[in-house]
Amino acid sequence: MNKTDNTGDAVGGLSRADSGIESGQRAFVKYVLGMAALLLPLALLVDDAHWLNIIAFTYLMGGLAAAWNIIGGFGGQFSLGHGVFFGIGAYGAARLYVAYDLSPWLTVLPVAAFAAALAMLISWPTFRLRGPFFAIATLAFNEVAFVIAHNLTSVTGGPRGIMIPFKAGLENMIFRERWQYALLMFGFAALVIGITVILRRSRLGYYLLAVREDEDAARASGIDVLGVKLRGMALSAGLTAIGGTLFAMYLRFIDPPTIFNLQEVGVKFALLSLIGGIGTIAGPLLGAALIIPFENFLRAELANAIPGLSLAILGLLMVLAALFMKRGVVGAIEDLVARLRRKARGGK
Amino acid sequence: MNHPLLDVTGASKHFLGLKAVDEVSLVVTKGEIVSIIGPNGAGKTTFFNLLTGQLAPTAGEVRLRGAQINRLAPHERARLGMGRTFQISKPLIALNALENVMIGAFMRHRKLSVVRDKAMAVLERVGLLQHARRRAGDLTLSERRRLEVARALALEPEILLLDEVMAGLNQSEVGQAIDLLKGLHATGLTFLIIEHNLKVVRAFSERVVVLDRGRLIAEGSAEQILNSPEVVKAYLGDGHKIAELKGASA
Repeated sequence: MNKTDNTGDAVGGLSRADSGIESGQRAFVKYVLGMAALLLPLALLVDDAHWLNIIAFTYLMGGLAAAWNIIGGFGGQFSLGHGVFFGIGAYGAARLYVAYDLSPWLTVLPVAAFAAALAMLISWPTFRLRGPFFAIATLAFNEVAFVIAHNLTSVTGGPRGIMIPFKAGLENMIFRERWQYALLMFGFAALVIGITVILRRSRLGYYLLAVREDEDAARASGIDVLGVKLRGMALSAGLTAIGGTLFAMYLRFIDPPTIFNLQEVGVKFALLSLIGGIGTIAGPLLGAALIIPFENFLRAELANAIPGLSLAILGLLMVLAALFMKRGVVGAIEDLVARLRRKARGGK
Repeated sequence: MNHPLLDVTGASKHFLGLKAVDEVSLVVTKGEIVSIIGPNGAGKTTFFNLLTGQLAPTAGEVRLRGAQINRLAPHERARLGMGRTFQISKPLIALNALENVMIGAFMRHRKLSVVRDKAMAVLERVGLLQHARRRAGDLTLSERRRLEVARALALEPEILLLDEVMAGLNQSEVGQAIDLLKGLHATGLTFLIIEHNLKVVRAFSERVVVLDRGRLIAEGSAEQILNSPEVVKAYLGDGHKIAELKGASA
């Protein structure tokens, strides 16, 4: 097997060592360093209640966007219906806690499993649709879920929603201190990113990329296209439901307009991924880190000046990003690094 | 050694009234190189798609190593040892060359380091090792064609179905490609190829079948077929001489 390396050197090409595929060890070290950097704002601002709220929400939205990115970014299936799975996580855990006093720690995984199963069920017919048609179909699911939540009063509380009483305690996933919530949300983001790192190095991860790029070529390469999409969707939906549970326990009040709000939930996951870098590991998190605090800032500063101005500015920013950073922040950074490298090589 | 690897009987594909493939039977034994030639629209690619499962046959039967595979999906046929390339090459353009080939190698292997090493070895085999980290979308046409062959090879197939892999290549590239295929054949791989370039057909194939308007009209050695008046007629119409066909192929 050394033959390959030798020949590679002989033609001045690549040897195994620089195949560009990282060793597992290196990927793990990068992950740990990345998570440490992610924890930094929380450590620095641990006494600032206002910022802690923003930080907690950024972690949560970053994790949720990263969960969406599994099927939306790697798998190329542009779902706008992830609010459904988010809603299952939120309503499932909230109802089980309020009605049966079941700890969210106990229910979070079964509820996520339910969301994953439902995701496979409703995706099975929709995955026959391609591109924009798939996106529109998933959008419809979100609206259907809204109507169901609005009318299924016995489970969701209907338009009045579910109020979770404040009973602080780790066992209830309800905390007195903001930093405790922020830490919980960080844990969620770290979990999703960790899974993404593993996925990106696994067969399923590569197969999702192949399906995104060309379904016929994927089939010819022995890939069960529908099966791969379903597995990617299940993983993505399950993680999204976990985020929904955390969201419900943080806000302690949920109702249909909050949960199935397209602008703030279903479309937001996709948007954060797009801005940060769709189909990359760090992209969704970066997108959240840029947009969520900025949104809060705009809302706080401009709310009294001209209503809606903050949304207009945000919209403008997204248009600019779509025009000039087609591969998101991560793509822009990669391009910059590549250009600097080329320059350095040219200088020699 | 001489048992049929691929056994097609009476394969037909009708689109509404059109008989794109009309009762074609063909046996390919292990280690053979069979070329399919025929004018444009003869049904060559449609026939290929019946073999790979891309299309369901209207009638007929496809057997691989004796087992009926009519109802199997393309990915299941790939797992049984059928590798293919597409007439219009389908590289996974956002991925680099190595990742393209790794996608194929993942079919038989699970561990990332094993898959990477297998893929690197295949890239070397087709002469693309130095391009391993280039985006497939940035490769030249000839490199893309080789990349497609590499991805199919990474499946560790028994039979490779190549749909006009030489199309658009210049003469020296065609020469290199023939050398590559001959090298692969020497390792025991079986080939079924669709080819327009008669020079390639003559240089590479042991047996040639001719499709015309969906029907198999002739079968034989390359020399026999390329000198057959019936084939010349199918290609060029009546009244042409063999010399012209030979001239056209040179």
